[in-house]
Amino acid sequence: MKYLGVDIGSLYTKAVVMDDDELLAAEVIDTTGNVAEEVEALVDGVLAAAGVSRDELAGIGVTGRGSDMVEFGDVKRDDISCLCEAVSRLVPGANLVLDIGGQSVTSILLDEDGGVVDFMRNDKCASGSGKFLTVMGAALGCGADKLDEMAARSTNKVPVSSQCGVFVESELITHVNEGVEPADIMAGICESVAKIMISQALKFGFQDDYTFTGGVAKYESVTGPAREKIRGEYHAFPYNPQLACAIGAAMSAEEE
Amino acid sequence: MYFGGIDVGSLTAQAVLINGKGIQAFKSIGVKPNPVQSAKAVVDMLIQEERVPWSEVKFCVSTGYGREQVQAEGLSQDNMSEISCHGMGASFLVPEARTVIDIGGQDAKVIRIGPGGELIDFVMNDKCAAGTGRFLEVQARTLGLSLDELGTVSIGAERVLELSSRCSIFCETEVLHYVQRGHSKADIAAGVNRAMAERVAALVRRVGMEKEVTMSGGVAKNAAVRAELERMLNVRLIKYSADSQIVGALGAALMARRMGGN
Repeated sequence: MKYLGVDIGSLYTKAVVMDDDELLAAEVIDTTGNVAEEVEALVDGVLAAAGVSRDELAGIGVTGRGSDMVEFGDVKRDDISCLCEAVSRLVPGANLVLDIGGQSVTSILLDEDGGVVDFMRNDKCASGSGKFLTVMGAALGCGADKLDEMAARSTNKVPVSSQCGVFVESELITHVNEGVEPADIMAGICESVAKIMISQALKFGFQDDYTFTGGVAKYESVTGPAREKIRGEYHAFPYNPQLACAIGAAMSAEEE
Repeated sequence: MYFGGIDVGSLTAQAVLINGKGIQAFKSIGVKPNPVQSAKAVVDMLIQEERVPWSEVKFCVSTGYGREQVQAEGLSQDNMSEISCHGMGASFLVPEARTVIDIGGQDAKVIRIGPGGELIDFVMNDKCAAGTGRFLEVQARTLGLSLDELGTVSIGAERVLELSSRCSIFCETEVLHYVQRGHSKADIAAGVNRAMAERVAALVRRVGMEKEVTMSGGVAKNAAVRAELERMLNVRLIKYSADSQIVGALGAALMARRMGGN
């Protein structure tokens, strides 16, 4: 049965079409101030990509910070629950989820049945979030798709001395002007994000089985160093981790 | 007989000469690569202009970055924390001051002082850009306004658009969304100025407020932020008459007079 899931995040809005546990298509757009108007076109686009018409959908699930801004959807569910829905079905047995989104870092503890036991979210400080990486990437003249490539070229990582993204950006620009190799700076940036991930993962203590979700989980330069320090067995999310929450929203529509 | 104060900051370095009556002269320059070079440069400029050899300065105190190295180089005879010196300098300029707010480009401090300028308590933030001048810079950049314009454009505001995040970077996203939705720069700027004042007020409350209250630093030039802050704290803020940049060096010179004078 086919379901549509939409996750209106702080920086990106994701739409997915699921056929039970199989991802048929996905589209991602920037979340702007006018997302309420833009989401319709996004939905049309992802349905076309999946070759599915609206009538074929058994349900639509909506989640994310911006979900209150849109009228459509059969089910509106909080993003934590959606993430857990997706993880419990696609990464069965994982009892810790570390979600690194556009403007938040969240650790979620699950029980054996994939139900939420507890969660801790930091959405007060940009450090460790996707936005932090975007800002630093821009200052280094590096688009998101080239981030891993740039960090991999580093031979002499430059550590970051501040937590605040605004101050790090200035520090970074100074380094660039002084002729420091951008790859070395990028490696330091990735390390600082990994450190935040590790400390967030530690909030509930290490667990036996864990996974990463959220856009930042796409970057090996960040997740690699993080995995080295997080004990337990790592299981990769089977699809683009940025889509995890939208997938969970689609799955949530199934319950109704 | 003169007394001297040297203050090396992150962007500028100041030197102040005081005599028996008050401020003789002062100088402010952009910093050099290291604090000792900055101290030497600003002192050299001052003594050249005033035609006062540094040997006639009976006692000098250094403060700010590298204050101990500056002393080790022989440019000063003692060194003191910038917080103590700032409080002392503020008290000289505004004798009724008991709460001193200084919001710089990269840090923010609130200092509680006694009647003689002595330090009672203080709180400082140099870790998070929110609540420092950087917050305004980031939002002004997104709005395509200069810092001066950010302070004045909100006069035409019809409403104050709220910023719900604490973090400067997250607020930047909120400002961008307001711009995309077609809100006026005046209304958004009003929200930015209010958010700035809220952060400063929160810092003040951490250390407690006693009248009279002074405000200095770059952010103090934004009249909209000052007006919001006065409303939040229910107090009239006193601005310094002298260039507020020299307050630290002035306080250092006053300390020098205490230590090395009669």
